[in-house]
Amino acid sequence: MNATTISRRSWLQRTATGFGALALHELVQAAQSPLAVKVPRFPAKAKRVIFLFMSGGPSQPDLFDPKDYIRRMHGQAISAPINTNELRVGTDKFLALATHGTVKARGQSGMMISDLLPHTASIADEICMLRAVHADNNQHQPAALQFHTGVTADVRPSMGSWISYGLGAENQNLPSFISIHPDSDTRLYGSSFLPAAHQGTKVIVPQDAKQSPIDYLADISGDAKAQRTRIDFTQRMNKHLIDQTGTDPRMEGMIESMEIAFRMQTATPELVDISNESEATKQLYGVGGKDTDKNARACLLARKMSEAGVRFVQVTIGGWDHHGDIRNALPKSCAASDQPCAALIKDLKSRGLLEDTLVVWSGEFGRTPWSQDLSGTSPIEKHGREHQPESFCTWMAGGGIKPGFTFGETDDFGFRPVSGKVHLHDLHATILNQLGLDHEKLTWRHLGRDFRLTDVYGNVVKEILA
Amino acid sequence: MAATFLMNRVLQSLGIAIFALSSARAGEDMAFFESKVLPLLQSRCYECHSHEQKIKGGLALDLKSGWQTGGDSGPAIVPGDVAKSHVITAVRYATPEMEMPPKGKLTASEIQIFEQWVAMGAPDSRVKQTAAKSARVIDVEQGKKFWAFRPVRNEPAPAVKQAGWPLAPVDRFILAKLEANDLSPAPDANAYTWLRRVSLDLTGLPPTPEDLGRFDASPTSRAAAVDRLLQSKAFGERWARHWLDLVGYADQIGTSNNVFAEHAWRYRDYVIDSFNADKPFDRFIREQIAGDLLPAASPQERAANITATGFLVLGDVEIVAVDKLKMEYDLVDQQVSKIGTAFLGLTLGCVRCHDHKFDPIAQTDYYALAGMFRSTDATYKTDNGVWSSVHKTELPETAEQRAEREPRLAASAARIRQWESERDNANKEKATLESQIASAAKEAKPELEKKRDELSARIKTLNGQIEHAKFFAPTAPKAFAVRDREKPGDMRVTIRGNPYALGDPVKRGAPGVASWGEFPPIPAGQSGRVQLADWVADARNPLTARVTVNRIWQKLFGEGLVRSVDYFGARGEIPSHPELLDHLASRFMQNGWSQKQLIRELVLSHVYRMSSSQDAAAGAKDPDNRLLWRMNRQRLDAEAIRDSMLVISGRLAAPSGGPALPLEFPENVASLSPKAVNPPAFAFKKVRPVQDFERTIYLPVIRTATQPGSAKLRDVFDFTQPAQIAGKRAETAVPTQALFLLNSDNVRSRATELAKQLIDTEANTGARLEALWLRILSRPITSTERDDAVKFLESMPADKAWVELSHALLSSNEFLLRL
Repeated sequence: MNATTISRRSWLQRTATGFGALALHELVQAAQSPLAVKVPRFPAKAKRVIFLFMSGGPSQPDLFDPKDYIRRMHGQAISAPINTNELRVGTDKFLALATHGTVKARGQSGMMISDLLPHTASIADEICMLRAVHADNNQHQPAALQFHTGVTADVRPSMGSWISYGLGAENQNLPSFISIHPDSDTRLYGSSFLPAAHQGTKVIVPQDAKQSPIDYLADISGDAKAQRTRIDFTQRMNKHLIDQTGTDPRMEGMIESMEIAFRMQTATPELVDISNESEATKQLYGVGGKDTDKNARACLLARKMSEAGVRFVQVTIGGWDHHGDIRNALPKSCAASDQPCAALIKDLKSRGLLEDTLVVWSGEFGRTPWSQDLSGTSPIEKHGREHQPESFCTWMAGGGIKPGFTFGETDDFGFRPVSGKVHLHDLHATILNQLGLDHEKLTWRHLGRDFRLTDVYGNVVKEILA
Repeated sequence: MAATFLMNRVLQSLGIAIFALSSARAGEDMAFFESKVLPLLQSRCYECHSHEQKIKGGLALDLKSGWQTGGDSGPAIVPGDVAKSHVITAVRYATPEMEMPPKGKLTASEIQIFEQWVAMGAPDSRVKQTAAKSARVIDVEQGKKFWAFRPVRNEPAPAVKQAGWPLAPVDRFILAKLEANDLSPAPDANAYTWLRRVSLDLTGLPPTPEDLGRFDASPTSRAAAVDRLLQSKAFGERWARHWLDLVGYADQIGTSNNVFAEHAWRYRDYVIDSFNADKPFDRFIREQIAGDLLPAASPQERAANITATGFLVLGDVEIVAVDKLKMEYDLVDQQVSKIGTAFLGLTLGCVRCHDHKFDPIAQTDYYALAGMFRSTDATYKTDNGVWSSVHKTELPETAEQRAEREPRLAASAARIRQWESERDNANKEKATLESQIASAAKEAKPELEKKRDELSARIKTLNGQIEHAKFFAPTAPKAFAVRDREKPGDMRVTIRGNPYALGDPVKRGAPGVASWGEFPPIPAGQSGRVQLADWVADARNPLTARVTVNRIWQKLFGEGLVRSVDYFGARGEIPSHPELLDHLASRFMQNGWSQKQLIRELVLSHVYRMSSSQDAAAGAKDPDNRLLWRMNRQRLDAEAIRDSMLVISGRLAAPSGGPALPLEFPENVASLSPKAVNPPAFAFKKVRPVQDFERTIYLPVIRTATQPGSAKLRDVFDFTQPAQIAGKRAETAVPTQALFLLNSDNVRSRATELAKQLIDTEANTGARLEALWLRILSRPITSTERDDAVKFLESMPADKAWVELSHALLSSNEFLLRL
C-alpha cells in the first residue's frame, strides 16, 4: 500500500459522515484530499460565505434607490440614456414609474431602505449597501450564470466551487459547498473543470416529513435490514474483485462512497433538522409564519451549516421577477424574505459569527426605473419593471465589510452608475479577497489555460472594506 | 491658460494641429501637466495602467510612450485631437463599452483637465523609461516545428524482441516502448472479460448469454464478434453519442425559458446513421461545415447534407440577447471555437480578443475563420418579444416520404376543421346563453351561467387543441441548419471582442500554422465554408486525422495517446507514442477515413486483449500506465449503465429514433401563439411511456433543468453538460451515485423485472443463479459466489429474495466497470 492510498483512506474516514465527494483523478494524483484545509494567501477577514440569491431581480428603484426625478415624472415619458442597439419590449414608451411605498433613511448611517423591508431596515447599521453594481446581461439565465460563475455562457466553476478549491472544507464531515433551494440550472452550483469534490450539494429544507432533503435518500426497499444485507453482499463482491484484480483507487472510492451513502440516509435528515433550535430563534427567522416559513427554514439552516463550518452556503429565494403589477406583487416577495434574511444577520451577530462570515444579498440584476407593460393597454399603476443589469443594489454584511455604509450612486434616472461602480467581477474579487484569496492567483489549468473566477477582470472594492 | 485652451479648441475645430510651441509656453505646459494631469493619472489611472501595478488592456499610462503606443485599441491619445483620443472618450463615459475609471466618472473639472491637456498637445515631462514588455510576435514558421503542426508521417512499425506477441502493427509500437522501459505487456484478459469489454466499447451494451455461448476466443470467433457488433445499429447509437458530446447537442435552444428545439433529433439521427453507414470521416466533416452548399445525388442525400449543418447551430446558442449584433458575434465565436475543439484540437475562443497566448495563432487567424461564419445565416429575429430563433431549412422529400406524410397532413387539417366548427358552434351557443342570462329571471340565472361557464371551458380547450395541432401539423420536414448570407464578405477584427469597436478587415482563410499553402480563393457571393471544410478534411491538415484517431483511441483504451484529447496546443499534453499516433492517422486516411475499419483493427489487436489487473512491479515503474502495460479500466458512462440495465432486464425497447421531446402532448408545451412575448417552450409534464425503455441517446436532452424521467440517471453519472463541448467526460465517484444505486426507482424496477423473469424462466435456484451472473456480469458464477448467494437468498423474505439479489449485482463494481 502506497502513501496515496493511506492518505486517501484517512481522508475518506474523515468525510465518512458527510456528503463528501471524491473525484477519481484526484484520488490517483493527489497526495492530499482536495477538501483539506488550505492556508489563504493573506490574512483573511472572513472564513465562510453565505450568499442570499434573490432570483429574478429585486426592484432597487422601489427598495433602495429612489429618484426624485422619476417620482416627479410618474406616468410620463422620459428620455432615458439607453443603448439604442438593444431591443425593448413593453418598455418602449419609457414611462417613469415612481417608487412604490416609502424609502427613507435608516439607522445611524441613514441608509435608504424601503418600508417594504422593515426587518432589513432594522439592520441598516450592520450592512453595506452597494448601489451601483452592474452586470453584462439582461436575461435571467445568462445573468444568473454570470453572478455565480463569472461568465454569461459556457460551463465554468461556480463561486462556491472556487472558494472550496481555494480554502478546502472547514469541517471535514460536511461538504464545503451547499446550495439550498437552487434554481433549475445546475451550472449555478457546479464545479465544471474543478474536481467534483468542490461541487455544490443541493439541499431542500423539508417543510414536512414527506420531503426529502436530497434525492434518493429514502430506502426504496423499505426494509432497513434487507438493505444492509444487500449492501453487504455487494461489498463482498466488490472486495473480492479487488482481491482478484489488484487494488484500484477508483474501485476503493466506489466501495467507500457506498458506505457514505448508506450513512447519509440517516445522517442527512439529522444534519438538516432545525427542530432543536430554540423557539426564540425560530421566531426570529419566522419559522411557521404564513409567508416566511420556507425562507426562514432555509436561512436558519444556512446559519446552522455555516456555523458547522461549511465554506459556502447559498440560499436561493425566488419571486422577484416583476414584469407586471409590481405594486401588488413586490410587497409579497418582500414579506416572504425580509424577516428571514435580516434574522440571519442578527443571529450570526449574536453568536459572534458575523465577524468572520461574509453575507451577500443580491439578485442577478435589478429593475428599470421606467415601467414595463407587456399588454400595452394597462394603466400605469398596473405596470411592472423590466430587467436592468446596468445598475442594481447588492448588500453585504460581516466578513470585514464596512457596516452602515452606502457605496455608489446612480444617475438621475437610477439607470447608470455615476460613482462607486462595482462590476460583478469586482464583487467576486472582493469576496475572494475577504477570504484571503487573490482573485488573480486562484487559478486552475484547463485546456492549456489558467482559468479564474474573474477571468481577466476584477478589482477589489477597497472602499467598502472595514 | 484658459485662453490657450480655447484657442486650441478653435484651431482644432478648424482641423489645424498645433505642434510648434514656444519654449516659454512649453515650460508652462509642463507645469500644467505636472501639477494637474499627473496627480490625476496617478490617483485615478495607475491602479490599472502602470508598470508598477497592472497594464490592463495593454495600456500603460505611467510613461509617455505608454499612451503613445497605446493598448489594444491603438494610441490612447492623439495629441491635439480631443475627439480622436480614446482617453477622452473613456473619461467622458461616451460609450458604455469604455468607461474609465470603471468605478466612477471623474468630476466635470477633472475631465476638463484631461481635455485641456490633450488639446494642448499632451505635453508629458516624464522621461523615465521602464522596460516595456516586448510585444510577442506570432512566428508561424517557428510554430510549425511543434509536433502537432508538423505533417503527419506514416511511421513504420518498430522491431520488437518478443516477435510472437504482436498481432497487428499497433502492437509493435506499444510493445517496443514497453521493452525499451523494461516492462512487459499484461497477460490476456479471459474470454468473458474480452467479449464484455468489446461489446460495451462498441455498442454500450453487454453481451447476451447467447453471445457468450457462441464465443470461443479463437481469432475467427473474435473477428466475427467484432464484425457483428460493428454492424449492429447499437454501434451507431453508442458512437454517435461520443460525437454529440462535441456538439453541445440538446433538444433545447439556448438555455433560457425551455425553448424547444423540435427538429434537433434529425441531426442526432443523422449522426447515428452516419456512424452506422461508416460514412468516411472527411465527408462527415464536409457535410457538417458546409452540407448546405454541397451537391447531392438524391433528395435523401440533400436532406442529410442540410441536416448535418445542425452541427453549427445545435450548441448552446443564445437567442434572447437584446443586443442582436453582439448575439450574432457570440454565435460566430461559438462556431469557430467548436470547429477548433471538435476537429482541430485547438482553443480558438480566446483568439477573439487577442493573439493566442501560447499557440502560434494570431487574432487575424481567428477573424479569417470568423468571416466565414459571419457570412452565414444561423439565427433570425422572431415575432416573440426580444427573442431570436435558430434558422430552419425545409428538407426535400422523396415521393414515398411525401406519399406517407400527405394523408397525415390531410387528417390533421380535417381534425382542425372539425375542432374549429365545434368551437364556432360553442361560441354561438355561448352568445345565445349570454343574451338569455341578461334577460333571465334571477332564479334561472345560476343554471344558465353554469352552462355558459362549461362552454367557455370547452372553447378554451378547443382553442388550445387547435393551436397545438396547427403548430405541429405534419408539414414538410425541417431541420435546424445554416445557409450563406446574401452578402458574404470578410470580417473586421474587433477590439477585445467588442463588435462595435472594429479594426482592419481580414481576408477569410485558415490558421497559417496548420496550413500547407495558400487558402484557396473563395468564390464571390459565398461564405467560404466549402473551402474551410475542404481544408479541415484535407489529408495534409496536420491536426484533423490526429485529433480524430486519438479520440477513438481514448474511447477504446481509456486515455488518449495525447491525454488532452481536445487540446493539442503548446500547453496540452504531448503524445505518449507519437509514432503510433502518426501511424494510425496515416492508416486512417489511407483507408478512406473509415472509423469502423480503424476501430476493428484496434479492438482486434493484442494490446486490446490485455488484462486490466494490477501488477506491483509495473505499477511502480509506470503508475499512470502511460506506456500501456495493461488495459485501463473504465467506469461505464451514464448511457451504458442505463442501457445495460434495460437489456439485462429484457426491457430495452426496439431502437426508434424520431422526435425526442414528447411535444405531441399539449400539456408539454406552452406559449405557442406567434405573438406571445416569450417563444414556444416545453413544460415537462408527461413522458411517452416507451421512453423509459428506449436507449438513452433517444431521450430528450435538456440544458438547464434536471433531466426528465429515467434520463435523470445521466445527471448522476457524469453526463456532459450539454452546454459544454468535451471529448472526454469527467469520471467521478460521489455518494450521490451510490445513493442512486441504492434507492432509485430506476435500478429497483430493473431488478424487479429481472427477478420476475428468472423465476418465470428458470426452474431452480442453480439455474437462476447461473443466468443472473451471465446476464449482469457476463461470466459464470463461481462456487464461492454460489454458496454466498444461496445463503443471501435464504436470509431474505421469500417474495423479495431475487429482487434483492438482482439489485445487489446491479450495484456492484463489476457491473459498473468495464475491466
